[in-house]
Amino acid sequence: MLKTLKISFSLKNTYRVNSILYSLRQIPLIRRLLPQSLYSVYGLKIFANLLSILWEIISIFLWKFFYLLVMVVSIGSLYRGLPAQQIYLHILLLLTVIGALINTQLFSSTRDKYYAIILMRMNAREFILINYFYSIIKVIIGFLPFSIFFGRSSNLSLILCLLIPFSISGIKLAVSALVLWDYDKSRFTGTENKLQKYSLIAAVLLLAAAYGLPAAGIAIPMEVSAALLIASLPAGAAGMYKILNYQRYQDFSKDLLADLFDKIDIAKQTAKTQTQRSISTDREIASSKKGFEYLNDLFIKRHRKILWKSSKWLALIALLVLLTVISACFFVQSFRTRTNTYLMSFLPYGVFLMYAINRGGDFTRALFMNCDRSLLTYSFYKKPEMVLKLFRIRLREIVKINLLPAFVIGAGLTGLLFVSGGTSQPLNYAVLFVSILCMSVFFSVHNLTAYYLLQPYNAETEIKSGTYQAVMTITYLICIGFAQVRLPILAFGLSCILFCLIYSAAAGLLIYKLAPRTFRLRS
Amino acid sequence: MKFTEYYGLLGRNGAGKTTLFNCLNRDLKADSGSFWIEEFGKSRNVAPEDIGYVLSTPTVPEFLTGREFLKFFLDINGNSISDPRPIDEYFEYVSIAPDDRDKLLKDYSHGMKNKMQMLINIIAQPALLLLDEPLTSLDVVVAEEMKMLLRSIKQDKIIIFSTHILDLALDLCDEIVLLSHGELERVDKSNLDSHDFKEKIIAALREEDYA
Repeated sequence: MLKTLKISFSLKNTYRVNSILYSLRQIPLIRRLLPQSLYSVYGLKIFANLLSILWEIISIFLWKFFYLLVMVVSIGSLYRGLPAQQIYLHILLLLTVIGALINTQLFSSTRDKYYAIILMRMNAREFILINYFYSIIKVIIGFLPFSIFFGRSSNLSLILCLLIPFSISGIKLAVSALVLWDYDKSRFTGTENKLQKYSLIAAVLLLAAAYGLPAAGIAIPMEVSAALLIASLPAGAAGMYKILNYQRYQDFSKDLLADLFDKIDIAKQTAKTQTQRSISTDREIASSKKGFEYLNDLFIKRHRKILWKSSKWLALIALLVLLTVISACFFVQSFRTRTNTYLMSFLPYGVFLMYAINRGGDFTRALFMNCDRSLLTYSFYKKPEMVLKLFRIRLREIVKINLLPAFVIGAGLTGLLFVSGGTSQPLNYAVLFVSILCMSVFFSVHNLTAYYLLQPYNAETEIKSGTYQAVMTITYLICIGFAQVRLPILAFGLSCILFCLIYSAAAGLLIYKLAPRTFRLRS
Repeated sequence: MKFTEYYGLLGRNGAGKTTLFNCLNRDLKADSGSFWIEEFGKSRNVAPEDIGYVLSTPTVPEFLTGREFLKFFLDINGNSISDPRPIDEYFEYVSIAPDDRDKLLKDYSHGMKNKMQMLINIIAQPALLLLDEPLTSLDVVVAEEMKMLLRSIKQDKIIIFSTHILDLALDLCDEIVLLSHGELERVDKSNLDSHDFKEKIIAALREEDYA
């Protein structure tokens, strides 16, 4: 038993340490400082080991803290009219049952389980039991301080506070034993990764009960909750007996992990097939153009579904929403003034909006997976003048695709501004319209430039470039940031237009200088 | 290396054959060393269009049909192809059936994709053709067709053929070059019959290597 414990710990740790080292390697600047033989450097290993152990300890407490704080206490405090401790127990109890149903360590198919049981042929029963009880102990230790802290601040008696971590484990054990029993009967396991239909339905119902009933002034009475918490102790003991004496862990884990084994393979395949599936098989599609225009024309036509079709849908939805708001302005006076004030400072939010609806990401992914991934292995395709020629064509296409919804939104907002009461400065109309169009162009240029300069994928279509991911994350964060800001149309709009012009010029220059070298397959 | 010769690049799994090709094709930056082309007594740098590279897993643009891919390629390279033919003639050349010519390349079989890739590289007539394990995963019929094809195209170019299958290299190549421990080494065939030559190659590859 002790040996299994040691092996399973060191296995998990090795896996985690290597993941840490791998992710260090993905950070652009640090990557250069790290030696090639990264995985065998002693000092680095110790550092990663420390991180790994630290993370294990922190993770015992961190999630429990946030779970109780956010899911139970904060939401619970929104309901008035019922005693705080009653609400607290009501939500906690129902959420615990949901957790026991969908988040069970015993039935999770994780990689370290796969490595240990399938690849390294460890004893399934020992390995599963050791890990399971370790996770149960973590639940108890992790919950104890916070169940006291939050429980006491919700006026719960100390006895109940102390009882809660054990009751949570009790419910987990009892439910897990039930699933084992069910497995024996039907060989059907409801793993948390493959949510069984019924437990998902039950979870949704319980969730509705946990948060819905208190809103209607109903909650499980204190006495019943307390009784259930106490009753879960013997239920847990019975569950533990079943789990400890269960003999078929070997079959059980084979069934469970066979799934994962497929998944590891499938995960690689899915991205590829999904993009491949987006290729239209319509035999009518043809083109009368020549050369790169021919290639591009066929590409756009065969990817209508993810390019033009979705852009048309976006335009249609935007049109409907804007028409609704505009007609509302005609009828409700108070809505009109509110809309007008909001619109005058709304433009920064437009940045986020235009980011969110940009098709550039899908475009470059499809470009890579269905086109460049293969064509980049041919030397004629890599000639500098060809790279630039095709870039210009592609830029034109993606700008066109994104401009359709942008045009609708820009025109709609300008119309809305007029209908909602107008503005004293007529220039605002033009700036609003043009800056929305500019934002759309900016994101098109940005996506395609990042793709050409950082060419993020390798031949297996996994994203390889850490820099690319960093650029995309920063873009996202900036856009989220803009969504929080309110600025007057004129100032923000004009700076936006100026920025887009400068950025596009700079991007063009960079592409011209660098793309013939950077637009390559990564090995 | 000389034009009109077949070079068999032999090395054990992981010796770096594909890496060498990637360096030559400039997909990877070489740590050191250089290569150039010597023509009419003058040496010059290797341009992208000098190199044709056929990968072991064939890669073709999946959203095009075979015919469209060929048409696109001929459009782009119209000026540099000395003797352009009608598209169907090219398909005949690599025995791709008329029914398959207008299918999307994503629906082509492995062997057919391989033929398309080879065909493009043959039409482009690069000075240097790199073939990375081109026959290893083909069925016997396609492999035989490809072998015939490979034998017929060796005028005016250097062909380097990487493989770890010794018999294939001996069958096709004029010269054998070994790659082991990051070093290239030509194997001298003089005065050896094929059996002794084989023994010599295996001995050389085994040397200092761990099993």
